[in-house]
Amino acid sequence: MSISNLLENWSQFRHTHPVEDKPHDPYKWAMSIDLDACSGCNACSVACYAENNLPVVGKEKYANGQVMHWIRIEHYWDEDVGEEGGREFPDQGAQFLPMMCQQCEAAPCETVCPVGATNHTPDGLNSQIYNRCIGSRYCSANCPYKVRYFNWYDYPSTENIWPAEMTQQLNPDVTVRGKGVMEKCTFCVQRLAAAKVTAKSEGRIVQDGEVQTACQQACPTSAISFGNLVDPESRVHKQWRAQQVELDKDKQAKDEKEGGTELRGYRILEDMRPYPSVMYLERVRESAI
Amino acid sequence: MHRFLRISVLLTGLFAAVSVYAAESLQTTQMTEDSLGPLVEQPIEFPHNRHAGDAGKGGMEINCMYCHTYARRSAVAGIPPLQKCIGCHQGIESVREAPRIKKLFEYWDAKKAVPWKKVHDLPDFVRFNHERHIKRFVEQQNRPFQEVCGYCHGDVKEMTVARRSKALSMGWCASCHQKDHAVVAEGGTQIGSQAYWYTFYKPEATDGSTDVLKAKGPNDCWQCHK
Repeated sequence: MSISNLLENWSQFRHTHPVEDKPHDPYKWAMSIDLDACSGCNACSVACYAENNLPVVGKEKYANGQVMHWIRIEHYWDEDVGEEGGREFPDQGAQFLPMMCQQCEAAPCETVCPVGATNHTPDGLNSQIYNRCIGSRYCSANCPYKVRYFNWYDYPSTENIWPAEMTQQLNPDVTVRGKGVMEKCTFCVQRLAAAKVTAKSEGRIVQDGEVQTACQQACPTSAISFGNLVDPESRVHKQWRAQQVELDKDKQAKDEKEGGTELRGYRILEDMRPYPSVMYLERVRESAI
Repeated sequence: MHRFLRISVLLTGLFAAVSVYAAESLQTTQMTEDSLGPLVEQPIEFPHNRHAGDAGKGGMEINCMYCHTYARRSAVAGIPPLQKCIGCHQGIESVREAPRIKKLFEYWDAKKAVPWKKVHDLPDFVRFNHERHIKRFVEQQNRPFQEVCGYCHGDVKEMTVARRSKALSMGWCASCHQKDHAVVAEGGTQIGSQAYWYTFYKPEATDGSTDVLKAKGPNDCWQCHK
């Protein structure tokens, strides 16, 4: 993509949620996360570190907010924890929520990048191109989920995160990022690309279950499912449909009914209209611990 | 006057010093004549023209795919194993005593692979797939291998040691991806009924009379960047 192509076809690269003349076809990668199954074990996060060459920054940089976890487990505590609360221990009533880039269809980060380093791909991903990124960090400021991470240090060379003998464990399909670029969850795009190539050469589209993200693969309770939302046979498509969550709406069936409803599916910060690609299933049981 | 002379002498000296420095720093990686890439010296001067060249020019017309066999079924073309060279050459007595063949058999006897060097080395942040390009142009379009490989590798059958003859830059890749290529040509194989595009540009039957389906190459960043 040349700069002239970028400028001439700007509206196509600023493509938002699917509209009638440009439906997602043949792919729209999406996820659903069952919070009832999530036990907060952090295996997804560890798997992500291994798969995507993430640097382990250490306590000090963590305290400075410079941690690089593309997927993090957020903790929420029950409101009644406290001196008057009914709980014996404050740790009771914890709720966990794995949070990663939601691959928004109308992504707030994409519109503000001064150099077009973050774009929408035709299969519904929010791409991040390290070579084009100049490190303005505007995208991170505009991200409602705060899932973009900036390389404040040159981890591979100056910080010695991967000593010589450890460079062998780096994933060759993922760039080792240098200083001054933004990065974020890619839905394991290297796996998607490989699966698409295999499928394309065999003259078919990627089947459900053929490609897994690293977090999904590592999840011991199978809380994460990932797949092609366009494919009516995919698990993700079935889950989204069962929960009546629609990609291009900012109000779902669940919100319209007052009080109790059987539906559990929701997307985070939906009323801001980023049209995220990750659906969460509300917790049913009382407490995770 | 003196001051003017002094300055000009100083400037000349400075210019000379800078150009000497520049010339020296350039020499660290010697480039090919047309500056398309670093000059790569191979352990054995492999004559591509002898192997793949036209019969009229003393070539054997061996298909690229005979040695570079992985190109059509994987992302990387790989390096042909030494066994492949020996497989033919142990039966070719006429060149057995030639210096390059002697060297080849030295590697074979020592049970060591020939340390061939990479000529077409893409940066680490680029994802390129040989298989897709060969499927697209050889199988779907029914074009000859030498022509298709030549789009990126140049006219290798005229070379001795392969050298870079195309820019292999992003703009150069994109210049081809922006073109409308016919999806299936006469004699080609239709691969996949609907899954040949992943771009916003769907193939359109632009030419009403012949009804030839045309499509551009993928144009989203993550297709090639990783």
